[in-house]
Amino acid sequence: MIFFVILLVLTFLAQIVEIFIPPLDWMYNAHIYIVPVIVFYGAIALPFPLVMALAFFAGFLLDALTVQVLGPRVEISFGWSILLYAVLAAIMHGLRPLFIRGRWEVHCVMSGLCTSAILLSQYLMIAFRRGSLVFTREAWWQIGGPGVIAMIMAPLAFWILHTLARATRNPYLPDPETYE
Amino acid sequence: MNRSSIIALVIVAAILAYFLSFGAESTRKLQAGFYKVISPFLSSGSGLKKQITSVSTGLQTLEDLERDNNNLKVENRALKATNQALRDIEHEVNRLRRALAYRERSDFRLVPAEIVTRDSSTWWRTVTINRGKVDQIEPDMPVVTDEGLVGKTTTVADNISIVLLVSDENCRVACSVEGTREQGIVSGERVTGSVSPLLDLNFLSKQADVRTGAKVYTSGVGGVFPSGLLVGSVQSFKVRELDGQARITPAVDLAHLEDVFVVTGRK
Repeated sequence: MIFFVILLVLTFLAQIVEIFIPPLDWMYNAHIYIVPVIVFYGAIALPFPLVMALAFFAGFLLDALTVQVLGPRVEISFGWSILLYAVLAAIMHGLRPLFIRGRWEVHCVMSGLCTSAILLSQYLMIAFRRGSLVFTREAWWQIGGPGVIAMIMAPLAFWILHTLARATRNPYLPDPETYE
Repeated sequence: MNRSSIIALVIVAAILAYFLSFGAESTRKLQAGFYKVISPFLSSGSGLKKQITSVSTGLQTLEDLERDNNNLKVENRALKATNQALRDIEHEVNRLRRALAYRERSDFRLVPAEIVTRDSSTWWRTVTINRGKVDQIEPDMPVVTDEGLVGKTTTVADNISIVLLVSDENCRVACSVEGTREQGIVSGERVTGSVSPLLDLNFLSKQADVRTGAKVYTSGVGGVFPSGLLVGSVQSFKVRELDGQARITPAVDLAHLEDVFVVTGRK
């Protein structure tokens, strides 16, 4: 439970830090996303109910910070990010057996893919609302770039979080001996 | 799947359904409440970022000095560093003096504000400012600088507001072109790879005599933006199937905004 609270605090702090990280102009203005990496580590290191709680918290933060209210309408309804995080975190949780066997690389790659999936979903929803689907080179970079960065960040982030999980004696840490 | 997992799923689904049913006003209230809670974090973060930027700029200057003047004595370096600090202060004073002068000569009632965060998401061009309801800021108020139009407020919390920049596709501004009777709608691009994106002026007539460099001003149609605010200048014009479209260079450098004014009414 202590580790879950730590993940909540880290998610909040990462969300605040993300705001102040400028977009990368050499990557067509792609942003750096740290929160998905933390949430997706939580998805493999926590039991399902806590995974849902963490996904809910991350989605709530993202929506509260980015939802656009334009006069009488909301561009993407509040709650969509919660749904996206919950679905993707559930998929990651389903891959937990691999994590227990020590196959971290799959989750690192998946963290990147899921980060891009969040951005792609947002972009598709915006395109649907605004009435035209345009995929430019910039759009692909802004969807794929953060995923690649998340993939690169994931091994270090996972190692730090795993060390933290051990230090706080997270009872849900994988134990290959007891894995069925 | 065990019982606790099912309960967790049901709870998340129920809250999610509740949020998804929110209309614009409920969402605005929830967002404003959230911004109220995190505004101390944003303000501290903004201050910290400025300090870090200032330190890194200082280090860069010292490196340059060392490369160019490696035979200078420590005393000279210290003097140059002091000069640099004074220049920074002078720049700050000039910037504030310019802002103050604009506020005094403007026809509008202006509330000065400072940028707290910028471009925090991939798909929306927004900034947050350190003024809110307590400063009589309301949603859909124009935001300007002495150089021209910046955007409009959307969600307003007690001490913080979100400003939708004129470079966002959703920020549509009725405009007219200087020296012509042409009127159109300015909006930003959905996706841009540039820090300082261009704007599109759509719905011009195909025969429009729009010249490069012509200034584009708000026309006052629509009610949000008063007429006469400079939006930018024409960079190019092309005829499309149904209308003419001009590319506009924004009058304001949106990537390096520091201080803005919220237009709360006319004097």
